[in-house]
Amino acid sequence: MLGVAVATAMIAVGVDVGDKINRELRSYGANIVVYPEEAALDVRIGDEQIKPASGGAHLKESDLPKIKGIFWGHNILAFTPILETRAQMNGRAIPVVGTYFAKQLHFGTESFITGAEKLYTWWKVDGSWPKDDSREILLGSRLADQIGKRAGDEIQLAGSSARITGIVSAGGQEDNEIIAPLSFAQQVAGEPNAVDKVYVSALTKPEDAFARRDPARMNAVDHDRWYCSPYANSIAFQLQEAFPGSRAEQIRQAAQNEGAVLSHISGMMLLIAVASLIAAALAVSAAMATTILERRREVGLMKSLGATATTIASLFVTEASLLAVVAGLIGFALGSVIAQRIGHAIFHSGVEITPVLLPIVIFLALLVTIGGSAAAIRRALRLDPVVVLRGDA
Amino acid sequence: MSLRRSMFFHLLRRGLLGRGNRPLIAFIALTVAATMITAMLNLYYGLESKLNRDFRAYGANVTVAAQEGSVLPPEALDKAQQILPPGSLVVPFAFAIAHAGDGSAVVVAGTNFSRLQKLDKWWLVSKWPTESDEGIVGGKAEPHLASSNGSFDLNFSGRTLHLIEATTVKTGGEEENRIYISLPEFETWTGVRPSLLEISVPGSREQVNAAIRQLQTAFPSLQVRPVRQLLEAQGAVITRMRSVMLASTLLITLTVALCVFSTLTSSVLERRRDFAVMKAIGSSQTTVNGLFAAEALVIALVAALCGYLLGSGLAAWISEANFHTAVAPRIAVLPLVIVCSVALALLAALLPLAQLQRIEPAGILKGE
Repeated sequence: MLGVAVATAMIAVGVDVGDKINRELRSYGANIVVYPEEAALDVRIGDEQIKPASGGAHLKESDLPKIKGIFWGHNILAFTPILETRAQMNGRAIPVVGTYFAKQLHFGTESFITGAEKLYTWWKVDGSWPKDDSREILLGSRLADQIGKRAGDEIQLAGSSARITGIVSAGGQEDNEIIAPLSFAQQVAGEPNAVDKVYVSALTKPEDAFARRDPARMNAVDHDRWYCSPYANSIAFQLQEAFPGSRAEQIRQAAQNEGAVLSHISGMMLLIAVASLIAAALAVSAAMATTILERRREVGLMKSLGATATTIASLFVTEASLLAVVAGLIGFALGSVIAQRIGHAIFHSGVEITPVLLPIVIFLALLVTIGGSAAAIRRALRLDPVVVLRGDA
Repeated sequence: MSLRRSMFFHLLRRGLLGRGNRPLIAFIALTVAATMITAMLNLYYGLESKLNRDFRAYGANVTVAAQEGSVLPPEALDKAQQILPPGSLVVPFAFAIAHAGDGSAVVVAGTNFSRLQKLDKWWLVSKWPTESDEGIVGGKAEPHLASSNGSFDLNFSGRTLHLIEATTVKTGGEEENRIYISLPEFETWTGVRPSLLEISVPGSREQVNAAIRQLQTAFPSLQVRPVRQLLEAQGAVITRMRSVMLASTLLITLTVALCVFSTLTSSVLERRRDFAVMKAIGSSQTTVNGLFAAEALVIALVAALCGYLLGSGLAAWISEANFHTAVAPRIAVLPLVIVCSVALALLAALLPLAQLQRIEPAGILKGE
């Protein structure tokens, strides 16, 4: 029974750990980027942007909620729009990036919150995050050092004043920029409803040979299968459909390498589950051997009363199966609880126990118990009733 | 005294070898327990380095950049390579803005392809350049090149460079806007020296942070920065996985131990007649306990050794099947496994004996 409980817990955790780690990784940046098809070349070296990337072509901000409406909308964990522009400040052109921080959006009846707070979890904000649709901004840490401003200060930006709510240190080009609410950046740029690109973080399935095939050259059945699998490529394709005149691409650095990490982690958990199952089988086998050895008098008595080997074997097998089913049920319940506990303790969210697991677990319990006791039963059948009943064995 | 001692060993030998397969069962059960403990502990210690290696495939985790508008000192590359731990990869980059065939500005980067190839394994390129006049063209830059037959011209302040396109690169990142050529070619063409080092430091987040501090002291005038997105993700995943592994190790060990415990206990209880006979013919409490304990001890020691070997093999196999490299068995695990097995066996032998202690030998012998 304990073996079953542990096997259940291990399988449940093993199946789910991939998903949990996937979510964990997905909170460290986007894996898909959407940009206008007509976008000009981005001329950027390190932190220095020579000229703004937007060469006139933009995505529409009003299209953004549609992201949640694509086929795999539920797999979209977060997204954030980016509008890059520049503003004059003290005679210098400072890069200003407009984005969502924690914006509430509606698609149909669904409402959800998305933005930089969810996507850029590694940003360290000294102070607080600005509110969307306000005149509050984040100041990059190196820029803040240069101009000597701190959280709470007011600065003049493109002819209006803005309040700094926090200093952001991200370790990247953000440290030299001003991060502003999207609406504010649109106003600075004079481009209402404009978005340069959208970074999307989606739960995806690791890429395999099928995912790498060119969808344009697939037949209808394969194309449907490709479209309905949550590959980074197919989600990108659906995003492209949602935004007219856009291109969506997976960010290969994230998408490729996550696949390796995830398949390694879940592969290892699976192998551990199998190993623990085998160990449980051996342990059960040892336990069954002792119980059957203890009952050898019983066997001798039955034999001397004329029971055939089949009768005795079926008696033991039935007993073992009953035990296995009951133990399987209790073990499943116990294992689910253990898996939940592990999930909450480590990932701060429960582990989903699929009912499909129950028959599998019961079947495994049967297999382990019967397989484990087979040797002991065979030995019991070979006992000579005379010897056993005399008490010499 | 010597007679008693030889009797003790005689009984011990009979107990271990002459009782059919009962000691064998105890031995198998204990070996399984020891195997699982060894395998889980080996995996637990090995996992971190394996995952760290996986995260290295993401590319650079540290960058060293020159101050805006300047270039790195010439000795920076060698110096960085020297102070970094072995296995680190340092890739230099030099940048310039050139004009492409259709007149648009494009960023050209000069780099060391053989190193870049090792750093960014995830780049989707069909062929890495081998000749000095070959370059990698970003997917977005390609339409602007006006290339003919796979070759194109780039213009930098009046000087034209003729290049052959080895492959296009698709990354989904800013690399797609650029053209990569080999560094010597780049330097003779533009005269611009590298301004950025992308560095991949192997190991855990702590080791990378230590390397960053070393670089900062070595290059006080340069900007040494961690790629925080990557390092934080790595740290978070490894912390989580460590907890998952710890929980599974405890769970599995505990269950196997319980199974083994019940098996061992019942096999000791089965021998209550031996126990009663020994008591009846006048052996002391200590002698009987000692005999049973010695038996358990011998079985546990042999089982621990077998389990250690089997478990190391199992861990190596799991890791080989999954990560394509085996975890090396850790000798540090062995004492722990021995202590666990012996404790388990002794506990399983002596607890039932303590129970039997309270019953009269006559009662047991009469069959009650």
